[in-house]
Amino acid sequence: MPVNFDNAATTFPKPESVRRAASAAVAQLGGNAGRGGHSLSMKSSAAVYSARETIADFFGAQPENVVFTLNCTHALNMAIQGIMSDGGHMIISCLEHNSSTRPAATLASSGKISLSVADVYPDDDMTVESFRQLIRDDTKAIVCTLASNVTGQILPWKRIGKLCQKNDICFIADGAQACGIVDVRMSDGINILCTAGHKGLYGLTGTGLLISDGKYTIKPIIQGGTGTSSADLSQPVLLPEALESGTLNIPGIMSLKAGVEFVSKIGTEKIYRHENAVCSRFISETERLPGVRIYRDISAQYVPIVSFSIDGISPEAATAKLSEAGYCLRAGYHCAALAHNYLGTENGTIRFAPSIFSRESDAAALAGEIKKLLTK
Amino acid sequence: MSVCIVEMPSYTYAVKGEKLLRARGYPCEINRKERPGGGGCGFSLVIKRNYPEAIGVLRAYSVPYTNIREGGD
Repeated sequence: MPVNFDNAATTFPKPESVRRAASAAVAQLGGNAGRGGHSLSMKSSAAVYSARETIADFFGAQPENVVFTLNCTHALNMAIQGIMSDGGHMIISCLEHNSSTRPAATLASSGKISLSVADVYPDDDMTVESFRQLIRDDTKAIVCTLASNVTGQILPWKRIGKLCQKNDICFIADGAQACGIVDVRMSDGINILCTAGHKGLYGLTGTGLLISDGKYTIKPIIQGGTGTSSADLSQPVLLPEALESGTLNIPGIMSLKAGVEFVSKIGTEKIYRHENAVCSRFISETERLPGVRIYRDISAQYVPIVSFSIDGISPEAATAKLSEAGYCLRAGYHCAALAHNYLGTENGTIRFAPSIFSRESDAAALAGEIKKLLTK
Repeated sequence: MSVCIVEMPSYTYAVKGEKLLRARGYPCEINRKERPGGGGCGFSLVIKRNYPEAIGVLRAYSVPYTNIREGGD
């Protein structure tokens, strides 16, 4: 079995409880949630609501404000396009994933919005000031990742949330690399939290979340059947149905509920500590190797992701060799082009990303394989 | 005995209302809307007694509903 150090893309393996929940949903939750009044449908509906409650409790939200999506990209597109549909100015950070950058850039290039990009620094004061300086009278939203998917750098999201509150700006947070690893609460000043269900929350692929605090109306980008008010040709306005047209991914949602319960039981602090220890071991084994460059700054904080490069070997070539040796790591731009301008990594990087199931001994063995690459 | 049928905007709000009321001792259940006319399909919260007070609880917690009517037992 290969060793997965690409958990920032999707966590694998999944916890046993997650696998069981998905399997039980396929076997037992055969009705379409929120659609019919028969027993199968009502059972599925109740199960989906229980998942909303579990997730709402985890993030400090109301169950009805938990919207199930296909992934974090889906959630961010809904949030960005739904908030900015009437125009205005938006600010994103230079570390955003393309799931934010592309919808923002598309709106900007079509002339519907104006867009600014805030620089990020290892020093949080400078990062917050960078956002503050870009705020205008017509600034409607700030979109900011909680942690970079390239380097793992944690952004000062609570301070950015306060900045948004002070200026009546909608704060759309991308929690894909932070949720399940660090404590994220809606009370951190987040108006709309978008995250993946299949990364640090350990659900199946095909799951994501948009969680609102209810303050801002998100105009739906997809409309259709919601199981209610069917005679009305206009889309319902209340969450979650306003943003949940079409049949829900019930096995995925039940896997996500189990994943959140798994994370809650262990605790994010313990998960962070474990994964960080694996990263520390990897860094200690590789940082002194000639030709290995690790993209971390001593004054910044990071989630358990390590981005690095090896002189003379492209990231793709290196990860191909490491894959042959049994180690799965991601190479390239990691779908975050702006971040590589910031880092100066025109060929991309290699990303090491452990999960709660990763072992320090595997990180050390991986470092041994990297050393072999350098001596060839 | 008559019951109070509260038409809800969605299953989500129906179950939120049901949980709020049951936790406070008001017997109720969720049914698929009996008469889909008007707004179309949907869900109702059927409250079996003390419904003026129960409706007050829904209002106090800002649980939205679309219509209230009396129904048979």
